[in-house]
Amino acid sequence: MESLLRDKKAILVFVLPAALIYLFSVFVPIIWSTYYSLFSGLPGINFKFFGLRNYAKMWGDRIFLGAFSMNLEYVAIVVLGQVGLGLLCALLFMFGIRKYKTFVRTIVFFPVVLPVVAVGQLFTKIFEITPNNGLFNSLLVLLGLGDLVQPWLGQPRSAFLVLCSMDIWTAMGFYAIIFYAALMDIPTEMIEAARIDGANGLRLLRNILLPSLRPITLTCLVFSFTGTLKVFESSLALTRGGPGTATKTLSMYMYDSAFLHSQYGYGSSIAVFILIECIVVTAVINGVFGRRKY
Amino acid sequence: MSKRISVLLAVLVVFAGLAGAQAKAKTISFLSIWPEANDNSKLILDLTKEYQATHPNFKLDFELVDTNSLQQKVKVLLASDDLPDVFAYESGTPILELIEAGKIVDIEKAFKDLGISEYLDAGAVSLLKRLASNKGLYDLPLGMNIEGLWYNKADFTKAGIKAPPATWDELMTDCEKLKKVGIQPFTAGGKDKWPLSRVLNMYVMRKLGVDAMEKGVAGKISFSDPAFIESAKVVQDMAKKGYFGTGITTVDYATAADTLFSGKAAMLYNGSWFAENLNDSKRNVAGPEGIGFFNIPLVKGGAGKMDDYSMNCGTILCLSKAKYDAATADWVKYVFTRMGDKAMKDYGAVKGYKVTNAKTDLPGYTKLIQAELKKAKTAGLWFEANFDSKTSQVAQDNIQALFLGMITPEQYWKDIDSANKEYQASK
Repeated sequence: MESLLRDKKAILVFVLPAALIYLFSVFVPIIWSTYYSLFSGLPGINFKFFGLRNYAKMWGDRIFLGAFSMNLEYVAIVVLGQVGLGLLCALLFMFGIRKYKTFVRTIVFFPVVLPVVAVGQLFTKIFEITPNNGLFNSLLVLLGLGDLVQPWLGQPRSAFLVLCSMDIWTAMGFYAIIFYAALMDIPTEMIEAARIDGANGLRLLRNILLPSLRPITLTCLVFSFTGTLKVFESSLALTRGGPGTATKTLSMYMYDSAFLHSQYGYGSSIAVFILIECIVVTAVINGVFGRRKY
Repeated sequence: MSKRISVLLAVLVVFAGLAGAQAKAKTISFLSIWPEANDNSKLILDLTKEYQATHPNFKLDFELVDTNSLQQKVKVLLASDDLPDVFAYESGTPILELIEAGKIVDIEKAFKDLGISEYLDAGAVSLLKRLASNKGLYDLPLGMNIEGLWYNKADFTKAGIKAPPATWDELMTDCEKLKKVGIQPFTAGGKDKWPLSRVLNMYVMRKLGVDAMEKGVAGKISFSDPAFIESAKVVQDMAKKGYFGTGITTVDYATAADTLFSGKAAMLYNGSWFAENLNDSKRNVAGPEGIGFFNIPLVKGGAGKMDDYSMNCGTILCLSKAKYDAATADWVKYVFTRMGDKAMKDYGAVKGYKVTNAKTDLPGYTKLIQAELKKAKTAGLWFEANFDSKTSQVAQDNIQALFLGMITPEQYWKDIDSANKEYQASK
């Protein structure tokens, strides 16, 4: 094995195809996009060099700024929800339930495999008001809370919160399974030893489980952050970015700019902005979680 | 090494041979927004099938794209210089881009060359030319639509309204009457956005006349004009008073129609294409006589007249200039000289082509529309017709915000103004 891995040719054979595919499918488009972001207009029609003006334009653009701040708030809520609830579910799988473990795990994981469009439709129906009350409003009526019935998806704030809860609900199971796998990897002797030493409940969680889960938490956070920063289809399926532009995300605006408004350059500069956001966030997470040794 | 090269060459030769054998056959691509079984696509596909009987080597590749993605799709194809032979598109500013870039066929010239100019309906041609800022005719019509207000007759009777309103003030009084008997005055497919901007357009058209938006875009009237602001204010007030019920921005187009049919809402702004749903006895529970139509009521002191109608040619067809050749021309000649008659025979529909076999036993709502179409003297276009795609999206996103009171009437027009100015400056 060792001699095989020292063989430069072997390394080349193993690594090169993947490296090439990665290079062409990820790096080339990034560079291409960055190059496009310096232009205005539509390639082949009225493509003109525009310098860095696309980047300057962003900061005076009401839609961009709205999408940006909405995105930040969305990321904060959804990351916390996805990873936090995912962890809670995993703990529940591990210590909370004795019977029907597999069944409960399947139920929690189920939304992950559903198509986003279907989930969007499902939530649209749940929070419907016209022509008939959806599940949620009917439930409110049933509980005697008829006064609270409202067009949940037809108001900017509540539409945003429904979107957040939808995305938490969909991805929670994914993180729960990852955490669950990591929990199973923790040697039972360690947990038992801690228990004998008198650590229970929160103490066990804080001093034994969480430190052992640190690398996995790091991975989950990076996944969740980058996934939510570029959120696109769930908002499109649920509200089409509405009402107004209340749930329009940055990547939706990027897409609209490039492919609908014929502003490839501006769209590309928003794409580059999202890329920078992702890099910065990943670096910050790595900095906070990665450096501390345990 | 030379052996490898010779093998490669051999393979190339074989491929070249295959390509050569296929050169005689003609395949054209058709990008459509109508599913294969729906009127426009079905008409074209049926006529193509007839054509193929005498031209067995002719093939048509059908591709369907969602209405909302049509512009994006065409723009991507345009950027990669690979427009389909025939494709559905939107008239107005979107098509101007293609005309100015010289990417689509001059239909007027093409039809003249083929000697089939008389098959195009003059009314449709003048409307399409106007939509393209009188740059010429570069698209084929697929419908002649008028728009207006559809109302549930039973609801009007219940509220004690004897005749459809002729003025805007009457319309507002009627709304109050309807509200009093517990009927929601209006519904609209607010989730789809455009049905709401059409409501605003009703007032704009009546207050400032049919060409208000054209003038606004060209800078001849300022979008900060009090009349524009007033129009947005009127509409916002209507929403505030509950004339559109709750959650109007969550209602989709189909639900809005069903709300009207069932009588839960009394009025719906829609176009003549709505006749297809109205004639469907399973869907239209109000029955063949239950729904009526009236043109937009007049605004006191406004420039609009009663024979001004909001009209359009629907989604149109364009031909790629780069791919247009004798074989395509021959197909065009076959299909579009037969389009008028076939559409009338199969659907009782006017598509903007010469009809020689006018049908008499048309379904009720289709008859109603045709009678209304005859009253039209001047055409007003839909709200976004003169906007570029960005301004159009700003107008449509913000119309929801306007209805919900998230933005002021002034802000609404300000955003349109700045998006339009940005576009005009980039031209």
